[in-house]
Amino acid sequence: MSELWKERLKRHQLNQFKYLRLIFNDTFVLAFIVLLGALGFWYSNLLDTIHSQLWFGKLLVVAILFLTAQAGKLATMMEDPDSTFLLVREKQFFKYFKAAENYSRFLPIVLIAVITFLLSPFAVQGAGMNVWDVVFLGISTILIKMILLDVQLVGLYGKNQLFGVNLPLLMNLVYLILVLAASYTFTWLAPILLLVLWVWFNSKVKGFADAGHLQWQKAITDENQRMFRVKRFYNLFTDVPGISSKIKRRKWLDFAVNGIKLKHDNTYLYLFARGVIRNNEYIGLVLRLTILQVILLCLIDNFYISLIVEMLFIYLVGFQLKPYFKEVMQNLMQRLYPVAAKSKIAAFTKISNTMLLIQWFVSIFAVLYKFGLSANSGIIIVAGLVVIGFLNYLYMPHQLRKFLDNGEY
Amino acid sequence: MTLEIKDLTGGYGQVAVLKKESFKVEDGQVVGLIGLNGAGKSTTIKHIIGLLTPRGGQILIDGMSLNQDVENYRKKIAYVPEMPILYPELTLKEHIDLTIMAYDLDHDKTWENATRLLKTFRLDNKLDWFPQNFSKGMKQKVMIVCAFMTDARLFIIDEPFTGLDPLAVNDLLNLVEEKKQAGCSVLMSTHILATVQDHADKFILLNHGQVRADGTLDELKAKFNMQDANLDDIYIKMSHEDL
Repeated sequence: MSELWKERLKRHQLNQFKYLRLIFNDTFVLAFIVLLGALGFWYSNLLDTIHSQLWFGKLLVVAILFLTAQAGKLATMMEDPDSTFLLVREKQFFKYFKAAENYSRFLPIVLIAVITFLLSPFAVQGAGMNVWDVVFLGISTILIKMILLDVQLVGLYGKNQLFGVNLPLLMNLVYLILVLAASYTFTWLAPILLLVLWVWFNSKVKGFADAGHLQWQKAITDENQRMFRVKRFYNLFTDVPGISSKIKRRKWLDFAVNGIKLKHDNTYLYLFARGVIRNNEYIGLVLRLTILQVILLCLIDNFYISLIVEMLFIYLVGFQLKPYFKEVMQNLMQRLYPVAAKSKIAAFTKISNTMLLIQWFVSIFAVLYKFGLSANSGIIIVAGLVVIGFLNYLYMPHQLRKFLDNGEY
Repeated sequence: MTLEIKDLTGGYGQVAVLKKESFKVEDGQVVGLIGLNGAGKSTTIKHIIGLLTPRGGQILIDGMSLNQDVENYRKKIAYVPEMPILYPELTLKEHIDLTIMAYDLDHDKTWENATRLLKTFRLDNKLDWFPQNFSKGMKQKVMIVCAFMTDARLFIIDEPFTGLDPLAVNDLLNLVEEKKQAGCSVLMSTHILATVQDHADKFILLNHGQVRADGTLDELKAKFNMQDANLDDIYIKMSHEDL
């Protein structure tokens, strides 16, 4: 079984590496670094304004650490066919999961360490802690993460409750109470008590697993969902094949597409328009990024950074609508339609234009809110339009054409 | 409508699945395309509908090839794939509207047709559902409705009977008969030999990407020297030939 784990891990890592290379190859990563820099700058400015201890300082530190501990799930690498082909190996699977758990600890621990490090200046300045307090809290958070992974592992064997209470809830509550109490008294108590809890619970894991049965369906669904989230994240930056999305009817949005006349020339417009509003992937993308864009535009005072934000976010949305075209083109039936490739691209351009113009229109309000009726506002707003023009009239048609020509679509 | 395949050679990538395959489907004929898994049935169909490009030979519909006039060539064909292929984001009603738009059909007349077909297959109360969530058999019915409501002259049906309930199989056969009476041609690939034996005018037996034999049941009996045989017996005899 550990051979199987090693093999899957290797395949998984190769895959991740492939995506990471794609992400870090893209030009916009540069812009992303600028954005990070802007946030760092904002954080350091914020710290300068704090001169005395804030009443909610400790609560905020604990809350952020608590949320950080929720990130990262048990990566089991289970696959759909496992429930058929490996059913007979159920008993041996525990070893496999143990290896999976070991692997799953690494990233969350790094994340917690980084967040704790970033939090430390605030904790010292705003929450009246010393450096050791911060270190103790960080270690506590790492320990609760280890416990939560154990909890997930026994959950795969159907063990969801302890003393009649939901296990993840119980452990999270214990963490919150311990850490809060400790941070107002003796911070070193939290890691010691959590260490005891972890050692105790960890020793119980095998027993819980033996007492229950492996919940194949749950294990596989959980893993599929986890992979889906990972891929969706990558999908923000690059095309990820095989990411299938959820469809919702959203009847209340029908008014937006009912205007499309039922005639031959509108075949693809009809199809794309409905897809974009019903496919969670794409409507979600536009919504998420537009909201984030508006928030950033409202927060940032710097003209140049606002300019980059405006252009970057429109570019991101436009760039990420492209996979939808590919998704539809993979449908075999549409390849048989007596419709020329040219009009497929034209229809997609129309849809992309509409979505981006809506996003642009919303962003105008944020820009005007921050910069008023000024030359700066004008430049940012026009720059947004330029990006839309570049995307839909230069970049996309060329890319889509290339895609259609290469793929025999 | 006539479909003529002359010395067709082709397949996926570098592997030639079909080797100099030739056969003809005449006006108003229902033809059964028969062969073992991997004999080349679906590959033949993919070449006819233009999803694969032949490496050699010709495919002509009414004397016209795909390259001569893509759009008119495609308008002549209706295709029901082996595995239903649907748009996850469209409702049943929208699938029908989209097909009408794509093939530039008359909206009202086609809807009349479609409504009749939907009633036949008991789908008329599911117009606002997403067919993507239907069972295999119901999805197959949607594909059949979308194909048979068009003005196509050649109907290509890939393994239509699996997953359909017996009532729907019967309804489909009636539709095929109806199209035949209207002068259309039907090419049907299937493993359900007993059904196709009673409903096809002619059979094409494929083996290793070549036409092993074709003709009516009587002609096949004569070719294989099996006077009392049914299609099953002939098929099994053919399959044993290369053992």
